[in-house]
Amino acid sequence: MENLEITATKSSPEIKFDASNYTLSIAGESYPENTSQFYEPIYKWVDDCIDALGDKKMTMDIELIYFNSSSSKVLMDIFDTLEDASDEGKNIIVNWIYDKENDSALEYGEEFAEDMEALTFNLVEKP
Amino acid sequence: MNSLYQHKQDLERDGIIFSFSGPMSHDIIEGIGGAIRAKIGEGNDGDKRAALKVFSIFVEQVENVINYSVEKDPANSAMSFGIVVVGKKDDLFFVSGGNRIETSRQSKLEEYLTKLAAMDKKELKIYYKERRRAGKEEDSKGAGIGFIEMARKSCKPLEFNFQKIDNKYSFFTIKICI
Repeated sequence: MENLEITATKSSPEIKFDASNYTLSIAGESYPENTSQFYEPIYKWVDDCIDALGDKKMTMDIELIYFNSSSSKVLMDIFDTLEDASDEGKNIIVNWIYDKENDSALEYGEEFAEDMEALTFNLVEKP
Repeated sequence: MNSLYQHKQDLERDGIIFSFSGPMSHDIIEGIGGAIRAKIGEGNDGDKRAALKVFSIFVEQVENVINYSVEKDPANSAMSFGIVVVGKKDDLFFVSGGNRIETSRQSKLEEYLTKLAAMDKKELKIYYKERRRAGKEEDSKGAGIGFIEMARKSCKPLEFNFQKIDNKYSFFTIKICI
Protein backbone atom coordinates (compact mmCIF):
# COMPACT_ATOMS: atom_id res chain seq x y z
CA MET A 1 0.00 0.00 0.00
CA GLU A 2 1.28 3.43 -0.92
CA ASN A 3 0.46 6.91 0.26
CA LEU A 4 -1.73 8.88 -2.04
CA GLU A 5 -2.72 12.51 -2.20
CA ILE A 6 -5.28 13.98 -4.52
CA THR A 7 -5.57 17.77 -4.55
CA ALA A 8 -9.02 19.27 -4.15
CA THR A 9 -10.73 20.95 -7.08
CA LYS A 10 -13.85 23.11 -7.07
CA SER A 11 -16.00 19.98 -7.39
CA SER A 12 -13.90 17.18 -5.93
CA PRO A 13 -12.52 16.72 -2.43
CA GLU A 14 -8.96 16.48 -1.21
CA ILE A 15 -7.99 12.87 -0.60
CA LYS A 16 -5.15 11.80 1.67
CA PHE A 17 -4.14 8.22 2.36
CA ASP A 18 -1.46 7.56 4.88
CA ALA A 19 -0.43 3.93 4.60
CA SER A 20 1.83 4.06 7.65
CA ASN A 21 -1.06 4.49 10.08
CA TYR A 22 -4.03 3.36 7.95
CA THR A 23 -5.71 6.74 7.78
CA LEU A 24 -7.81 8.11 4.99
CA SER A 25 -9.20 11.62 4.88
CA ILE A 26 -11.71 13.09 2.46
CA ALA A 27 -12.38 16.81 2.72
CA GLY A 28 -14.12 19.47 0.68
CA GLU A 29 -16.79 19.35 -1.99
CA SER A 30 -17.91 16.30 -3.90
CA TYR A 31 -19.78 16.62 -7.18
CA PRO A 32 -17.16 15.42 -9.66
CA GLU A 33 -17.99 15.13 -13.34
CA ASN A 34 -17.54 11.37 -13.23
CA THR A 35 -18.17 10.15 -9.71
CA SER A 36 -17.34 6.47 -10.15
CA GLN A 37 -14.11 7.28 -11.96
CA PHE A 38 -13.08 9.76 -9.27
CA TYR A 39 -13.74 7.35 -6.40
CA GLU A 40 -12.25 4.24 -8.03
CA PRO A 41 -8.79 4.64 -6.40
CA ILE A 42 -10.46 5.21 -3.03
CA TYR A 43 -12.45 1.98 -3.27
CA LYS A 44 -9.26 0.17 -4.14
CA TRP A 45 -7.31 1.73 -1.28
CA VAL A 46 -10.06 0.89 1.21
CA ASP A 47 -10.06 -2.74 0.07
CA ASP A 48 -6.25 -2.96 0.23
CA CYS A 49 -6.23 -1.29 3.63
CA ILE A 50 -8.74 -3.76 5.06
CA ASP A 51 -6.66 -6.65 3.70
CA ALA A 52 -3.45 -5.28 5.23
CA LEU A 53 -4.96 -4.10 8.49
CA GLY A 54 -4.61 -7.15 10.71
CA ASP A 55 -5.33 -6.07 14.30
CA LYS A 56 -4.34 -2.43 13.72
CA LYS A 57 -6.76 0.48 13.69
CA MET A 58 -8.02 2.15 10.51
CA THR A 59 -9.40 5.70 10.67
CA MET A 60 -11.42 7.51 8.05
CA ASP A 61 -12.02 11.23 8.52
CA ILE A 62 -14.68 12.74 6.32
CA GLU A 63 -15.37 16.43 6.20
CA LEU A 64 -17.60 17.25 3.28
CA ILE A 65 -19.33 20.60 2.90
CA TYR A 66 -21.49 19.48 0.02
CA PHE A 67 -21.85 16.22 -1.91
CA ASN A 68 -24.26 15.28 -4.68
CA SER A 69 -26.49 12.22 -4.78
CA SER A 70 -24.00 10.14 -6.80
CA SER A 71 -21.34 10.81 -4.16
CA SER A 72 -23.82 9.87 -1.45
CA LYS A 73 -24.22 6.45 -3.05
CA VAL A 74 -20.45 6.01 -3.30
CA LEU A 75 -20.04 6.89 0.39
CA MET A 76 -22.75 4.39 1.29
CA ASP A 77 -20.88 1.68 -0.65
CA ILE A 78 -17.64 2.52 1.16
CA PHE A 79 -19.34 2.52 4.58
CA ASP A 80 -21.00 -0.82 3.80
CA THR A 81 -17.58 -2.27 2.97
CA LEU A 82 -16.22 -0.92 6.27
CA GLU A 83 -19.30 -2.21 8.11
CA ASP A 84 -18.72 -5.74 6.76
CA ALA A 85 -15.05 -5.61 7.74
CA SER A 86 -15.96 -4.35 11.24
CA ASP A 87 -18.47 -7.15 11.53
CA GLU A 88 -15.62 -9.55 10.86
CA GLY A 89 -13.67 -8.04 13.75
CA LYS A 90 -11.61 -5.29 12.12
CA ASN A 91 -10.96 -2.15 14.15
CA ILE A 92 -12.31 0.70 12.00
CA ILE A 93 -13.42 4.18 12.96
CA VAL A 94 -15.22 6.72 10.81
CA ASN A 95 -15.24 10.34 11.95
CA TRP A 96 -17.93 12.36 10.20
CA ILE A 97 -16.81 15.95 10.76
CA TYR A 98 -19.39 18.72 10.31
CA ASP A 99 -19.62 22.44 10.81
CA LYS A 100 -22.40 23.31 13.24
CA GLU A 101 -23.75 25.88 10.80
CA ASN A 102 -24.12 23.24 8.11
CA ASP A 103 -27.19 21.36 9.34
CA SER A 104 -27.51 19.26 6.21
CA ALA A 105 -23.99 17.86 6.73
CA LEU A 106 -25.00 16.78 10.23
CA GLU A 107 -28.29 15.25 8.99
CA TYR A 108 -26.49 13.26 6.31
CA GLY A 109 -23.99 12.05 8.90
CA GLU A 110 -26.79 10.98 11.24
CA GLU A 111 -28.47 9.05 8.45
CA PHE A 112 -25.30 7.15 7.61
CA ALA A 113 -24.72 6.46 11.30
CA GLU A 114 -28.25 5.01 11.66
CA ASP A 115 -27.42 2.35 9.07
CA MET A 116 -24.20 1.18 10.72
CA GLU A 117 -24.07 -1.40 13.48
CA ALA A 118 -20.61 -2.93 13.84
CA LEU A 119 -18.76 0.09 12.44
CA THR A 120 -17.86 2.89 14.85
CA PHE A 121 -19.32 5.96 13.21
CA ASN A 122 -18.67 9.19 15.15
CA LEU A 123 -20.36 12.51 14.46
CA VAL A 124 -17.78 15.14 15.30
CA GLU A 125 -18.55 18.84 15.48
CA LYS A 126 -15.78 20.91 14.00
CA PRO A 127 -14.08 22.92 16.74
CA MET B 1 -32.48 43.83 -33.83
CA ASN B 2 -34.85 42.85 -31.05
CA SER B 3 -34.27 44.13 -27.56
CA LEU B 4 -33.94 41.58 -24.79
CA TYR B 5 -35.64 44.00 -22.42
CA GLN B 6 -39.03 42.29 -22.63
CA HIS B 7 -37.42 38.89 -22.00
CA LYS B 8 -35.60 40.30 -18.98
CA GLN B 9 -38.82 41.90 -17.69
CA ASP B 10 -40.61 38.55 -18.04
CA LEU B 11 -37.91 36.81 -16.02
CA GLU B 12 -38.04 39.44 -13.31
CA ARG B 13 -41.84 39.27 -13.13
CA ASP B 14 -41.54 35.54 -12.41
CA GLY B 15 -38.91 36.15 -9.72
CA ILE B 16 -36.17 34.50 -11.74
CA ILE B 17 -32.67 35.33 -10.51
CA PHE B 18 -30.69 33.10 -12.87
CA SER B 19 -31.76 31.50 -16.11
CA PHE B 20 -29.68 29.32 -18.35
CA SER B 21 -30.88 27.68 -21.54
CA GLY B 22 -28.48 25.87 -23.79
CA PRO B 23 -25.87 23.12 -23.80
CA MET B 24 -25.24 21.85 -20.28
CA SER B 25 -21.91 20.62 -18.99
CA HIS B 26 -20.10 20.12 -15.75
CA ASP B 27 -18.55 23.58 -16.21
CA ILE B 28 -22.04 25.08 -15.90
CA ILE B 29 -22.49 23.42 -12.52
CA GLU B 30 -19.19 24.77 -11.24
CA GLY B 31 -19.49 28.22 -12.81
CA ILE B 32 -23.15 29.21 -12.70
CA GLY B 33 -23.89 26.93 -9.74
CA GLY B 34 -21.02 28.50 -7.82
CA ALA B 35 -22.30 32.00 -8.64
CA ILE B 36 -25.83 31.13 -7.46
CA ARG B 37 -24.48 29.69 -4.24
CA ALA B 38 -22.42 32.82 -3.62
CA LYS B 39 -25.27 35.19 -4.53
CA ILE B 40 -27.71 33.57 -2.08
CA GLY B 41 -25.26 32.75 0.68
CA GLU B 42 -23.00 35.76 0.98
CA GLY B 43 -23.44 39.24 2.38
CA ASN B 44 -25.31 40.53 5.40
CA ASP B 45 -28.67 39.13 4.40
CA GLY B 46 -27.10 35.95 3.01
CA ASP B 47 -28.74 32.64 3.83
CA LYS B 48 -26.08 29.90 3.81
CA ARG B 49 -28.53 27.07 4.45
CA ALA B 50 -30.80 28.09 1.60
CA ALA B 51 -27.76 28.66 -0.62
CA LEU B 52 -26.57 25.10 -0.11
CA LYS B 53 -30.04 23.63 -0.69
CA VAL B 54 -30.63 25.66 -3.85
CA PHE B 55 -27.17 24.71 -5.10
CA SER B 56 -27.76 21.02 -4.42
CA ILE B 57 -31.05 21.03 -6.36
CA PHE B 58 -29.35 22.97 -9.18
CA VAL B 59 -26.59 20.33 -9.37
CA GLU B 60 -29.07 17.43 -9.53
CA GLN B 61 -31.14 19.20 -12.21
CA VAL B 62 -28.19 20.06 -14.44
CA GLU B 63 -26.90 16.49 -14.06
CA ASN B 64 -30.33 15.23 -15.15
CA VAL B 65 -30.20 17.39 -18.27
CA ILE B 66 -26.65 16.14 -19.02
CA ASN B 67 -27.65 12.50 -18.52
CA TYR B 68 -31.17 12.36 -19.90
CA SER B 69 -31.86 15.14 -22.40
CA VAL B 70 -32.30 13.69 -25.89
CA GLU B 71 -31.58 17.06 -27.46
CA LYS B 72 -27.91 16.76 -28.35
CA ASP B 73 -25.39 18.88 -30.16
CA PRO B 74 -25.03 17.16 -33.58
CA ALA B 75 -21.29 17.87 -33.52
CA ASN B 76 -20.77 16.69 -29.97
CA SER B 77 -23.16 14.11 -28.58
CA ALA B 78 -21.80 14.69 -25.07
CA MET B 79 -23.45 18.13 -25.09
CA SER B 80 -27.05 17.95 -23.89
CA PHE B 81 -29.45 20.87 -24.19
CA GLY B 82 -31.91 21.96 -21.56
CA ILE B 83 -32.94 24.80 -19.31
CA VAL B 84 -32.50 25.49 -15.60
CA VAL B 85 -33.83 28.53 -13.75
CA VAL B 86 -33.44 29.65 -10.16
CA GLY B 87 -35.77 32.20 -8.63
CA LYS B 88 -37.50 33.45 -5.53
CA LYS B 89 -41.20 34.05 -5.12
CA ASP B 90 -43.26 34.69 -1.99
CA ASP B 91 -40.08 34.27 0.08
CA LEU B 92 -39.41 30.79 -1.27
CA PHE B 93 -36.60 29.86 -3.59
CA PHE B 94 -37.36 27.60 -6.50
CA VAL B 95 -35.29 25.67 -9.01
CA SER B 96 -36.91 24.48 -12.23
CA GLY B 97 -35.30 22.42 -14.91
CA GLY B 98 -36.42 21.07 -18.23
CA ASN B 99 -35.29 19.00 -21.15
CA ARG B 100 -36.53 17.06 -24.13
CA ILE B 101 -37.33 13.38 -23.62
CA GLU B 102 -38.71 10.65 -25.82
CA THR B 103 -42.46 10.47 -25.23
CA SER B 104 -42.13 6.70 -24.88
CA ARG B 105 -40.32 7.30 -21.57
CA GLN B 106 -42.96 9.66 -20.20
CA SER B 107 -45.33 7.17 -18.55
CA LYS B 108 -42.60 5.47 -16.52
CA LEU B 109 -41.13 8.79 -15.34
CA GLU B 110 -44.58 10.22 -14.62
CA GLU B 111 -45.52 7.18 -12.54
CA TYR B 112 -42.25 7.42 -10.58
CA LEU B 113 -42.57 11.16 -9.86
CA THR B 114 -46.25 10.79 -8.92
CA LYS B 115 -45.18 8.16 -6.41
CA LEU B 116 -42.51 10.48 -4.94
CA ALA B 117 -44.90 13.46 -4.81
CA ALA B 118 -47.33 11.40 -2.74
CA MET B 119 -44.73 10.39 -0.12
CA ASP B 120 -44.25 12.28 3.12
CA LYS B 121 -40.76 13.17 4.43
CA LYS B 122 -40.47 10.00 6.49
CA GLU B 123 -41.44 7.74 3.59
CA LEU B 124 -39.02 9.61 1.33
CA LYS B 125 -36.20 9.08 3.82
CA ILE B 126 -36.85 5.33 3.97
CA TYR B 127 -37.12 5.08 0.19
CA TYR B 128 -33.96 7.17 -0.26
CA LYS B 129 -31.98 4.85 1.99
CA GLU B 130 -33.40 1.78 0.28
CA ARG B 131 -32.55 3.03 -3.22
CA ARG B 132 -29.11 4.26 -2.15
CA ARG B 133 -28.18 0.74 -1.14
CA ALA B 134 -29.84 -0.92 -4.12
CA GLY B 135 -28.13 -1.67 -7.41
CA LYS B 136 -28.51 0.68 -10.34
CA GLU B 137 -31.74 0.78 -12.31
CA GLU B 138 -31.21 -0.37 -15.88
CA ASP B 139 -31.93 3.00 -17.49
CA SER B 140 -30.23 5.10 -14.83
CA LYS B 141 -26.98 6.87 -15.65
CA GLY B 142 -26.28 8.32 -12.23
CA ALA B 143 -26.91 6.96 -8.76
CA GLY B 144 -30.65 6.90 -9.48
CA ILE B 145 -31.55 8.82 -6.32
CA GLY B 146 -31.48 12.40 -7.64
CA PHE B 147 -35.26 12.82 -7.77
CA ILE B 148 -35.67 11.39 -4.27
CA GLU B 149 -32.99 13.78 -3.05
CA MET B 150 -34.88 16.69 -4.64
CA ALA B 151 -38.22 15.55 -3.22
CA ARG B 152 -36.71 15.35 0.25
CA LYS B 153 -35.41 18.92 0.05
CA SER B 154 -38.56 20.35 -1.51
CA CYS B 155 -40.84 22.36 0.76
CA LYS B 156 -43.87 21.15 -1.22
CA PRO B 157 -44.50 17.90 -3.10
CA LEU B 158 -42.43 18.09 -6.26
CA GLU B 159 -44.20 19.54 -9.28
CA PHE B 160 -43.70 18.35 -12.84
CA ASN B 161 -45.11 18.71 -16.31
CA PHE B 162 -44.89 16.97 -19.67
CA GLN B 163 -45.59 18.97 -22.80
CA LYS B 164 -45.93 17.27 -26.16
CA ILE B 165 -43.52 18.62 -28.80
CA ASP B 166 -44.28 16.32 -31.74
CA ASN B 167 -45.04 12.65 -32.38
CA LYS B 168 -41.80 11.47 -30.86
CA TYR B 169 -40.73 14.00 -28.24
CA SER B 170 -42.07 15.74 -25.16
CA PHE B 171 -40.64 18.43 -22.94
CA PHE B 172 -40.23 17.50 -19.30
CA THR B 173 -40.19 20.17 -16.58
CA ILE B 174 -39.65 19.73 -12.86
CA LYS B 175 -39.95 22.39 -10.14
CA ILE B 176 -38.63 22.22 -6.60
CA CYS B 177 -39.20 24.86 -3.95
CA ILE B 178 -36.84 25.49 -1.05
